[in-house]
Amino acid sequence: MKKKMVGMLLCAAMVVSLIAGCGNSGADKEGSKAEDVKKADDSGKKVYALVTKSAGNPFMDIIAGGFTDVIEAAGGEVIVRHPEAATADAQVSVIQSLISQGVDSITVSANDQNALQAALEEAMDAGIKISGLDSATNADSRQVFVNQASDAEIGKTLMEAIYDIAGGEGQWAILSATSQATNQNAWIAAMQEAMKDDKYSKLELTEIAYGDDEPQKSTDQTQALLSKYPDLKVICSPTTVGINAAAKVLQDDHSSVKLTGLGLPSELAEYMGDGDDKSCPYMYLWNPIELGQLGGYTAMALVNGEITGAEGESFKAGDLGDYEIIKAKDGGTEVVLGPLFKFDSSNINEWKDVF
Amino acid sequence: MAGKSGRSIANKPEKVWQKRILSWEGMLVVLFIAVNIFCINISSMYQFSNVLREMPKYLTEVFILLPMAYILIMGDIDISVGSIVCLSATMACTAYNKGIPFIAVVLICLMTGMACGFVNGIILTRFTELPPMIVTLATQIIFRGIAEITLGSGGSVSLTKADGFRMISGKVGKVPYIVFLVIILAAGFTVVLCATTFGRRLYAIGSNKLAAYYAGIQVERTRLIVYSVTGFMSGLAALLLVSVLYGANTTTGNGFEMDAIAMAVFGGISTNGGKGKLQGGIIAAFIIICLRIGLGLINLNPQIILIILGILLVLSVLLPNIFRGVKLQSKSIEMK
Amino acid sequence: MKKNKSILKTITTSREISLLVVLVLLCAAITIKSPSFMTYKSIIDMLRNNTVTMIMAVGMLGILLIGGIDISVASSLALSGMTAGMLMKYGVVKNVFLIFLIAMAIGGLCGLINGLVISRGKVLPIIATMGAMYVYRGLAYLVANNEWVSAEDLGTFSSFALDKFWGINYVIWVLIGVYALFFVMMKWTRLGRKVYAVGSNKEAASISGINISNVELFVYVMMGILAGICGTIAVSVYSSAQPNMLYGKEMDIIAACVIGGVSMSGGRGSVAGALLGGLVLAAIAKALPLVGIEAIAQNTVKGVIILVVIILNVITQRTIDRNNLKEREI
Repeated sequence: MKKKMVGMLLCAAMVVSLIAGCGNSGADKEGSKAEDVKKADDSGKKVYALVTKSAGNPFMDIIAGGFTDVIEAAGGEVIVRHPEAATADAQVSVIQSLISQGVDSITVSANDQNALQAALEEAMDAGIKISGLDSATNADSRQVFVNQASDAEIGKTLMEAIYDIAGGEGQWAILSATSQATNQNAWIAAMQEAMKDDKYSKLELTEIAYGDDEPQKSTDQTQALLSKYPDLKVICSPTTVGINAAAKVLQDDHSSVKLTGLGLPSELAEYMGDGDDKSCPYMYLWNPIELGQLGGYTAMALVNGEITGAEGESFKAGDLGDYEIIKAKDGGTEVVLGPLFKFDSSNINEWKDVF
Repeated sequence: MAGKSGRSIANKPEKVWQKRILSWEGMLVVLFIAVNIFCINISSMYQFSNVLREMPKYLTEVFILLPMAYILIMGDIDISVGSIVCLSATMACTAYNKGIPFIAVVLICLMTGMACGFVNGIILTRFTELPPMIVTLATQIIFRGIAEITLGSGGSVSLTKADGFRMISGKVGKVPYIVFLVIILAAGFTVVLCATTFGRRLYAIGSNKLAAYYAGIQVERTRLIVYSVTGFMSGLAALLLVSVLYGANTTTGNGFEMDAIAMAVFGGISTNGGKGKLQGGIIAAFIIICLRIGLGLINLNPQIILIILGILLVLSVLLPNIFRGVKLQSKSIEMK
Repeated sequence: MKKNKSILKTITTSREISLLVVLVLLCAAITIKSPSFMTYKSIIDMLRNNTVTMIMAVGMLGILLIGGIDISVASSLALSGMTAGMLMKYGVVKNVFLIFLIAMAIGGLCGLINGLVISRGKVLPIIATMGAMYVYRGLAYLVANNEWVSAEDLGTFSSFALDKFWGINYVIWVLIGVYALFFVMMKWTRLGRKVYAVGSNKEAASISGINISNVELFVYVMMGILAGICGTIAVSVYSSAQPNMLYGKEMDIIAACVIGGVSMSGGRGSVAGALLGGLVLAAIAKALPLVGIEAIAQNTVKGVIILVVIILNVITQRTIDRNNLKEREI
């Protein structure tokens, strides 16, 4: 009997020490960082948190890099938290955990524009400054949103690119992420708005396909577009995974269909070029490093009390220059980073190593 | 006698307190205390008030765990619960935004859940040859698909006014209502499982379906009831989730099924059926919740949290088995 | 007359052939709606895009045959694929053959751990592989370290998915090779027959001298190795490696097997069945965007088709059993 008891207790001890061991070894880096934060809290250092959309996403990682750089340079502390999964549910848990830690500011890239409202309101009640970045939360659950570029601007730029690549007339299609993605839908709506211009009357939008940001499904969808519409001239994909999968399909098939959209230069470098053997003549994106930096400056301005997030206020964002808070379409306020940046064969090589 | 998963330790009547401590549930209580001490050590923010405040979001999964334990004990499985939560939450939000009174919305939410569970049950009892995993996989895709269609191209719905749901997420002092609800339901489900004929039937079905059938148990009817209850509880979980999220979207309830199964298994409930106690599952659920909150407070990489949970899950079954293996060997040597 | 009857009998008594009929009907329906479905290029595209699921299905077949299950496959695929991708990105390994070997070794190791925990530790397969699912996926994220591997990082490796040999894509050759190997192994080798024996009746197999633990270990390691191969193929086909690749696809793989008539309680199922099941899923995935079903309803339609196919399967099986019974009475 005694033997049994000793054995079971040993087992329990093993399990416990294992958790402790895992926790410690895994937490080594982050754990010590958290301790720093604690100390920082005592000395009155401000703590800024960034909640990303998902883990393992280089785009988010680059934004986090820019965010961290400017805040640490100004003497603040940064916590970057990735949710367990790319869902709003998981982000709610993260935000509640941050409220417990008593951070000063939370900047969030929302997976759903409405579902975070309850958690973010609770955070604001606790005196935490809330700003949005990259993908907005609704107007009630934020002080200000840092927008990469206005929707209308993205819509107009992409339409112009499609017009140019198609040669002024012909069929084109959109390959989007999921049918629920907030910013994707806003951009598609803006493109459809821009299309009403007489200039684009000879362009025909055949279909909006959804690849769910999965390579396999995006590939299926692109191939389906090609076989359904033999006269297709251009595909426009405003999402990284989609544009990547479409570029591969078009290039492998030596298709005459060309591609444009929004994508990461490092992912698209292989497909970028003017010749017939390349599928993407040019595409657009904003600079994610600067987006992260602007997010950082905005969070600091909110915490310093320099701005409150009301329309008409302005603040200085370090080297990026001065920014003014303007009214956003959803009724809230926003700061707009600037125009889109065009990537083509002439500059791709210098950017592909940056992001 | 040692059963399929080999968690029972004592095989002859012994002193009650010894049996209690040495049972798997006893070990879990020890582990629960250990986890809490560990969390207090790693983060000064791990305080009662903070844990209580973060708890409601995680507690919604416990509502799924309770009926899931029944299903596992019967030797079945249901992986569509996450989608049922999604569909019920979608229906509730859409209905509430249309101005339907709150009481009716609650009914709609619960009934949607129950209807989904009933569909699972009907298919599984009409075509008994079909493995529950595949049927519920198909319905998982279908239920979430229906939610997607209902939600339309926006993919998310938010409550235009949240009064009714705010009421649910209210608190008595510092303790949210949902905590009381979990305690009441957990107690209810546990009592039904260990102290009623219905509960014993579940064990009988899980141990040997055919024997249970010949013993006069209406196996298929019982399964149908349990699947419907699971749907109902998923609807309830959806209701509470909406009160936390003030809305629903296509990813609501993603992964709930795996979390609930993991909690049950960690609590000593065998997926082969006929084995395990609900008390274990409930304690295990709280261990996992506390660990998640604690590790969240030190901002640990979420992937590492998942790795830790995965290892814990396997070890919780593996260690007792290895230990038993050693014991059996030594016993056979003694016999020689 | 007699011959006719026997053909009819083979059709109604073989699950594989009845499934083949379903597949043909499905394809015919799609082709009527969208003629471009039945072209050579479209079929090759479909196969190439679904090779991963189909190869994994044959590995899963082995596991389901012995009454096990493995839900960690998509995670071990991501871990081996991601590692292979990162090795190429940082130029550590350039040789295509070597990359495959490394990925197979990593996948094999994942499978070995699963197999050991299940066969030696006597842990239920679903629990062991559920834990492993979290662990391997987590490791894949850690290996990726917030980076993706892009087409340019892969260099010539992405051409593996494009180059042809005798007019057929390399990737499809791998598919054919794996299926041929498994077909032979399951049908004509002692090992294959042992797998069936263990699945049909464990005790009987054990008494007749089969080492059950080793057979279990073998099928899990085999699955792991296939996951490794598929990880590399997925990286090559999509020219990109991301830590969340094939997230949640383990269920598709199990579904492919079950649609193909593989029993989840073990002992029943064939390589041809797994192939057909995989093909049905592939045809559905290819057809949904082609036939012009609203994007928003595609998931629902997919779920309904899976449900209908498995229920049809049960009904056929019941008819077969009834016919067999009738014969016995005579």
